[in-house]
Amino acid sequence: MTPVTLGTHRLYILPTRPGLIFAAMIAVLLLASVNYSNGLGYGLTFIVASVALVSMLYTHRNLAGLEVLGHECAPVHAGEVLAVRVCLHNPAGLARIAIQVEPRAGAGVTVARIAPYDQHWVTLTLPTAHRGRVPLPALVISTRFPFGLLHSWSRSIALDGSVLVYPRPAPQAWDSVRGHGDDKDAQTPDDGDDFAGLRRHRTGDAPQRVHWKAVARGQGMHTKEFQEPRAGQRWLDWDAVPLPDVEERLSVLCRAVLDADREGARYGLRLPGTLIEPDTGARHRHRCLEALALFPTTGPA
Amino acid sequence: MTPAHQLLDRDGQRWLLAAIVAVVAPLTLSAPVWLTAVVLALLAWRYLGGARGRAVPGRGVRLVLTVAVVVAVYRHFGTVFGRDPGIALLIGMLGLKFLELRTVRDGILIVLLLFVLMLASFLVSQSLGLAAFHLASLTLCFAVLIRISQPAVLGVSEVARLAGGLVLKAMPLAVLLFVFFPRIQGALWGLPQDAFGGLSGIDDAMRPGSVNELSVSEEVAFRVEFDGAMPPATERYFRVMVLWDFDGVAWTRGATPFGPARPAPVSGRALRHTITVEPSNRRWLPALDWPAPPGAPLRWRVGHLLESPQPVRERLRYTAVSHPQLRDLRGEDTAETRGLQLPGGVSPRVRALAAEFHKAGDARAIAMRALAHFRQQEFFYTLQPPLLGQDPVDEFLFESRRGFCEHYASAFAALMRAAGVPARVVLGYQGGEINQAGGYLIVRQSDAHAWVEIWTADGGWQRADPTAAVAPERVEFGADALRRLMARGASLGRLSPELLRQFLEQGWLERTRGQGRLAWDGVQHAWSRWVLDYHRDRQRALMERLGLDARPGTLVALGVAAVVLAILGVYALGLRRAIRSRDPVKKLYRRFCARLARIGLPRARGEGPLAYVLRVGGARPDLAALAAAITARYIDLRYGPAPADAAALQALRRALRRWRPRRVA
Repeated sequence: MTPVTLGTHRLYILPTRPGLIFAAMIAVLLLASVNYSNGLGYGLTFIVASVALVSMLYTHRNLAGLEVLGHECAPVHAGEVLAVRVCLHNPAGLARIAIQVEPRAGAGVTVARIAPYDQHWVTLTLPTAHRGRVPLPALVISTRFPFGLLHSWSRSIALDGSVLVYPRPAPQAWDSVRGHGDDKDAQTPDDGDDFAGLRRHRTGDAPQRVHWKAVARGQGMHTKEFQEPRAGQRWLDWDAVPLPDVEERLSVLCRAVLDADREGARYGLRLPGTLIEPDTGARHRHRCLEALALFPTTGPA
Repeated sequence: MTPAHQLLDRDGQRWLLAAIVAVVAPLTLSAPVWLTAVVLALLAWRYLGGARGRAVPGRGVRLVLTVAVVVAVYRHFGTVFGRDPGIALLIGMLGLKFLELRTVRDGILIVLLLFVLMLASFLVSQSLGLAAFHLASLTLCFAVLIRISQPAVLGVSEVARLAGGLVLKAMPLAVLLFVFFPRIQGALWGLPQDAFGGLSGIDDAMRPGSVNELSVSEEVAFRVEFDGAMPPATERYFRVMVLWDFDGVAWTRGATPFGPARPAPVSGRALRHTITVEPSNRRWLPALDWPAPPGAPLRWRVGHLLESPQPVRERLRYTAVSHPQLRDLRGEDTAETRGLQLPGGVSPRVRALAAEFHKAGDARAIAMRALAHFRQQEFFYTLQPPLLGQDPVDEFLFESRRGFCEHYASAFAALMRAAGVPARVVLGYQGGEINQAGGYLIVRQSDAHAWVEIWTADGGWQRADPTAAVAPERVEFGADALRRLMARGASLGRLSPELLRQFLEQGWLERTRGQGRLAWDGVQHAWSRWVLDYHRDRQRALMERLGLDARPGTLVALGVAAVVLAILGVYALGLRRAIRSRDPVKKLYRRFCARLARIGLPRARGEGPLAYVLRVGGARPDLAALAAAITARYIDLRYGPAPADAAALQALRRALRRWRPRRVA
């Protein structure tokens, strides 16, 4: 995102509840001074009122010029807490005190102090309920410095982009999707349980699979390919989860993806309209979970 | 921000305690002692109880305590309304609020209560000292507000600087509002009975012999500025009221109708003087003998008396014109009737004495004869006279023979009436202390005096002061000198001028102290004139002097609002300068980019420093090395571990100073 600076035109200011009581108190002081025609009473009233007036400038200045440099956040599963990290930057030679960062919905966070020219990462936590692509919340930055009598806040700041919320994983995987290779459709016609052939070595291939003999013969690095991986190649199939509810089906598949990934298995995902070839690794897991997260709510058409 | 419902920490509680002690301390001087003890106990209960992890006392306990405090205040004052009970209740509530102190919001409410209490203490005293003290406690209150409503990231000195700066910046605005905020005359609602309690002044009755010690108050009664020369001490009689009616024990005013507004035929010189009278909660106003009818709104009563239309509750300034040699021959009939009235029970001894005086001839001669009697017989002036019984005049004249002005005035007036000379008692002030530096006269409550006026056929009412016959020093040197003489045991009225001077001569220390006292009085006079008594009339006078009185009020208000906004604008500019980016590293790098832009190599939007310097190096290989070095330093400073090293910054500055890229031809 492009950095956002809290300019003067982006800031608002109003009294807080204690601020309103404070204003009422000033009125009481003034009335008493008038009634008793007390010179020092007038003086006290006007000093207190003037301090309140001047403090408005301090409240405003505490926010003015502050920058939101950027943000980052990682995908989570539905029901987990989403952590959005926002970077605040104080470009001025003046400490900012008690800056509150608040998403539109959810709990705000208070930064006690941002030193001059310093940056500060704020972690906002947001609850998630549903899978899918969730837009990042708009932020409001506010302060009640110095007396807590005035509240100044920024126009809401949109955070660019969105975050993916994976489906909520089911508590237990189903045996039917625990990936045995008996699914005939998914298997190559060869019965070969073992060696399937050689292909050029790619970085990241397991050393056990390197065809070392060929290397020794000076034929270059090759990797042996097998139809059935050691940890078992699995197909995680939509049709293997005969549940009526789409979300529950996705939850079971999500659990299966996580289990397979943890066990280091090669797995593929087959959803109506989507096929992800078996593979391993974090990126592959993300692809699978993304497909589950973005699966239409209405189910297969 | 600390949300208002968050709990207040121990440190915050300590700050609050400090502010409470500061604000309540001056009030404990006038509040009942038990209240101070109760509040201290409540504060200790909550604070020390909190230290032992004890919870806030329950609602029931607090309710009982609240009722107890209200009942105790009622028992003490007999009411819960009025100034003093009100202040007592406020102090009590403050203690109770602290007892249930839990959240930040409670703390803020307590601070607000403290502001109200500060104003309440100004109702008790408006001295310069208290004002200075409360300016400090006000700053402390704001510091407490900062401390409790912000998380504990600010150090003590930072909070103090912030609060002090805010109060300092508020001052010009406050002064502006003070001067221009329209003042209203009179109270908005009925003031409690005791609103002006503690104001002292002369009572409107005189009972010589009922007290055996004259209380001496050094409080200022009024100050006088004369146009022209100040009259001598023996002429400085300021009349306040006339007592006509005598019942044998007490002199009272009786009916005193409003007098004729028509001035008496003037004779002799006129003395214009301006009097600033302290609040007395009474209507009477002093004026030098004998004043001419005053201008509105002051009123005028028979006996040459000035009066305010309302009780004097704030310092009042007025100008009077007096004629020391006035002969007002009107009012003879009043003199014949009221001026001769005597109760039936006058003792034969007194009547005999009066009859003897009567032989002297006319009124003036009779008075002279009586005054001579006081001077020749063994009469003594004292401030601690014996108490007198049922017939004070008789007892004083023939037995005790000691007393102060009231005794002499009473006995003399009674003698005159018994001798057939119309007489009346006048209460007022005599003498006063001259403040040379300020050019004015200070008259204190201790200068209060009583004298007599007798009716003469050719001069009207004439002053006759029996006290002057017994103790001429009282009239000539003033009440203060008299007291000093008596303290040294001098016998009054029998001192040679030589001895008098010796007795009255003050040591260096006394003189210095006296001068200091006068200087301080000058400061206080100015303080009260410009701060305490800045009321409607003074405001109007100031507006006149500024030439603003002719302008419509709304225009003036708009002007003041504009000035307030302008001051705020100046502050805003100052504050904004502080937040404008002043990162020295960034500034230096911006200068670097500006110099390259000048030779045709501006930094592109969003171009990183490294990419930029590479591009510059490609375009101008001759600049590459130095530009790269500067960029490296900049990157180190900007993205290296904080905080930036001062030496590195200096190096960057130096490198940049020498570096002036030129365009190639």
